[in-house]
Amino acid sequence: MKELKKVSRFVYNCKRCGMCGNKVTAKVPYVCPIRKATPGFEQFYARGKIIIAQGLLEGRLSWSPEVARALYSCTLCGNCMTQCAATDADRNEPMVATTKIVEAMRADLLRDYPDGVPRAYHQVLTATQQYENPWRLPRATRKQWYTGLEVIEAGTEPAEMLLFAGCTIASSPVLAERARRAVQVLNSAGIRPAVLGSREVCCGSVQRKIGAVSLAQELMEKNISLINRSSCTKVVTLCAGCFGTLSTEYRTAAQPLAAEVVHMVELLAALVRDKKLTFRKSRQLTVAYHDPCHVGRHAGIFNQPRAVLAALPGITLVERRATREHTICCGAGGGMRLFDDGTLAAKIGAAAVAEAAAVGAQALVSACPFCEMNLAAGAAELKEELPVYDIIDLVYESLAPEPR
Amino acid sequence: MERYTADMVKTLSEIVGASYVAADPATLFAYTRDASHFGGTEAAVVVRPETTEEVSRIVAYAHTHRIPVVTRGGGASIYGQPRGIPGNTILIDMTRMDKVIEINPTSMTVRAQAGIIMGKLQHVCRQAGFYIYAPFAPLHIVSLGGWMSGAAGSAGLWTDIISLTAVLPDGTVVCTGGGPGTNIHQKIYYNRNLGGPDLTGLFIGDGGSFGIKTEAVVRITPYPKVLRASIYEFARIEPVLELVARHVGRVNPHPFEPVMVFGPGAMKNFMPEFETSTAFTVQGMIQGHTEEETLAKQTMFNRIAEELGGVRNPMLDAMAEAMAASGTGSSDMEMDWLSLFNGLGVAAWLPFTLPREGFLDVYHRMLEWREKRLQDALHRGFRYRATWEFFAPTDASSLIGEIDAFFEPSDNPELFDYLRDMMADFQEFAHKLGSIDVYNQGLMSRINASCWSSGYAKLFDTIKTALDPQSILNLGLWKKT
Repeated sequence: MKELKKVSRFVYNCKRCGMCGNKVTAKVPYVCPIRKATPGFEQFYARGKIIIAQGLLEGRLSWSPEVARALYSCTLCGNCMTQCAATDADRNEPMVATTKIVEAMRADLLRDYPDGVPRAYHQVLTATQQYENPWRLPRATRKQWYTGLEVIEAGTEPAEMLLFAGCTIASSPVLAERARRAVQVLNSAGIRPAVLGSREVCCGSVQRKIGAVSLAQELMEKNISLINRSSCTKVVTLCAGCFGTLSTEYRTAAQPLAAEVVHMVELLAALVRDKKLTFRKSRQLTVAYHDPCHVGRHAGIFNQPRAVLAALPGITLVERRATREHTICCGAGGGMRLFDDGTLAAKIGAAAVAEAAAVGAQALVSACPFCEMNLAAGAAELKEELPVYDIIDLVYESLAPEPR
Repeated sequence: MERYTADMVKTLSEIVGASYVAADPATLFAYTRDASHFGGTEAAVVVRPETTEEVSRIVAYAHTHRIPVVTRGGGASIYGQPRGIPGNTILIDMTRMDKVIEINPTSMTVRAQAGIIMGKLQHVCRQAGFYIYAPFAPLHIVSLGGWMSGAAGSAGLWTDIISLTAVLPDGTVVCTGGGPGTNIHQKIYYNRNLGGPDLTGLFIGDGGSFGIKTEAVVRITPYPKVLRASIYEFARIEPVLELVARHVGRVNPHPFEPVMVFGPGAMKNFMPEFETSTAFTVQGMIQGHTEEETLAKQTMFNRIAEELGGVRNPMLDAMAEAMAASGTGSSDMEMDWLSLFNGLGVAAWLPFTLPREGFLDVYHRMLEWREKRLQDALHRGFRYRATWEFFAPTDASSLIGEIDAFFEPSDNPELFDYLRDMMADFQEFAHKLGSIDVYNQGLMSRINASCWSSGYAKLFDTIKTALDPQSILNLGLWKKT
């Protein structure tokens, strides 16, 4: 239990009160999406997982397929920690960092009981070892998405801002188009971003969450080296997972990332505030904004996306009961889209979509490709005609001139 | 899986559906612990029923085959849970039974399944404009059933429980109090005592020993819309107790005016500015339906506090304002308390319930006892971080409180051994001084039972044996050893 021992203090700090699975308030319809979407036994929310961790540490429980299932049934969304809210004032950290406990158990599981790790995760790790991304995308294809766009190949000329596209955007034409739109929005604000192109490797988020700590570290070091050499002082990400990893893990590396890391919603909000974007086209649409966990709950970026949406002509924002730091994860977090063929993730996504429809939203807006994919899967499961957009889509469309 | 367990799983799956029955190592281990430092149930099977009928069928099966049954709600008992027989027990997780069945605004009652967590029940009631008076309770972690089995008495809910549905240890379903199922001429639940003994009370505070509570009807009151808070500091405890006496004498019962007293150690945890304070702080949470009503009540409370020498200062006023802004009702604040507690360190929970009469002497002796134990802990290398002294009147005659201690987080098993000993020793000590307590499960039930007279024990055993001749339900409760 090498990794688990490193975080054992969090295990023993837990008072096992159960608030992480049982709290309900006006803003918290429930805490754990996994508990809600499964038959709800204790190990399918934080308290049970922590009790399992204690058993593993003390040698009273050993690895089994059921333990593995419990550990991988977690979106790592951290809502349990938000609702617990207990802080260790002496160390200035959460008293019980459940996400760290689960990640550590997964790392130990992968090393000590790899047969318990779902096959889909092994495939991701194998693909990453071969292609440096989980999508089996050859390096050459990593450049295709920006063909014909106003970008700078990092290092070829000075650039202040680097757009870290993330490997997921190259995994589908829809997401590639999203990245193209992001560049065009930045261009319209007078920004020509740098890109790493075919040199950019996966940020390492999904590998770390599966438990492959060393592999994630290798990827991290490659990206840090590339970015630090680029002379860019600001990195903007399109993906919440990339943002979370670059803004936290990359800071703790032996050679840490030097540049400031921002998510696209922060940049958009700044451009709107500074009147660098002119919105000409109106679209009457009522939307609910889904706060991606890594951007919202983990980084406290709540107002910026809402400010952007408020500036778009015709867009009306409605809020679900659980919003901002209380947002229930879309279901894709923690690698859940690969678990059980994505059925559990889609079920969680369906709940998020149903909540949006219930408050009168005609569409859901997010700022993360994983949220978008999984919320769309949830809408399909519900057979709900509720489109899911990235906020970049709405900004891009609003920039277009009104048709005559 | 042993044949015996496989048979249990098969039968239980036929009752509740296979998804809601588990006998694998991960599930069983996850249920071995609850909020206490004391060990829990090592079950053979865990089952999550959805209806009273399913519970009845599970218990009837267990009765026929003489299989021990342990019930579990929120898992919030801090003095342990029944053990059953390790490896040969059906553990019923009640939290799937979490539905509000009916809110009756005319009779001002709510009927709900007993596995519902009190916070959710409170939320649903509030949506309908009502409120369950339940101060000082950990709403977000305790189930209605667990609360009725344990803490309801001290938390002020006791008399508000009108009726309950219970599954007896042979699977028979009974409905107590007045209403459908007990009085064929009545269609609504409106009165606990309709011309007969109070059989509802039989099951309240029983720790789950006499039957499994599956539903309850509880009184609700219109949700007080206005909350004001007054916080006063006193250099000595005597005027604090006088303030409490005058307050409960003026407004007994006092459903919307809980008063809480915090000792010096507790206040340090609220605000670092209290680090050197040795004062007692009294918080009056004044609630009402209108500004006028609430202000009038607050003015009266303030007058008494000031007559007794209580002082306010800007810091306390700011704290009061923050508390008033945090919501209407003490239950909203409870959430913050729990987070505060959880951040303090590893807890030695030292709760008590004492008569207001003669309280001061006992309180001082308990504090002396704690001080000695804290010094002993330091001597053994266990550093404590914080203490928490709190008490509050739940009615005119009783004070419920805690003198907890919180230790530096550690994974040292010797610390947890020490805490278990400390908590058990404290309860032995406090009970000898006249304290009772409300966590009627695990160790606490045994300590409470050790105080019984022979007549009381005989009455209890007679009832238990009559209801549970196979002795299957929550085995281990109320045993002196």
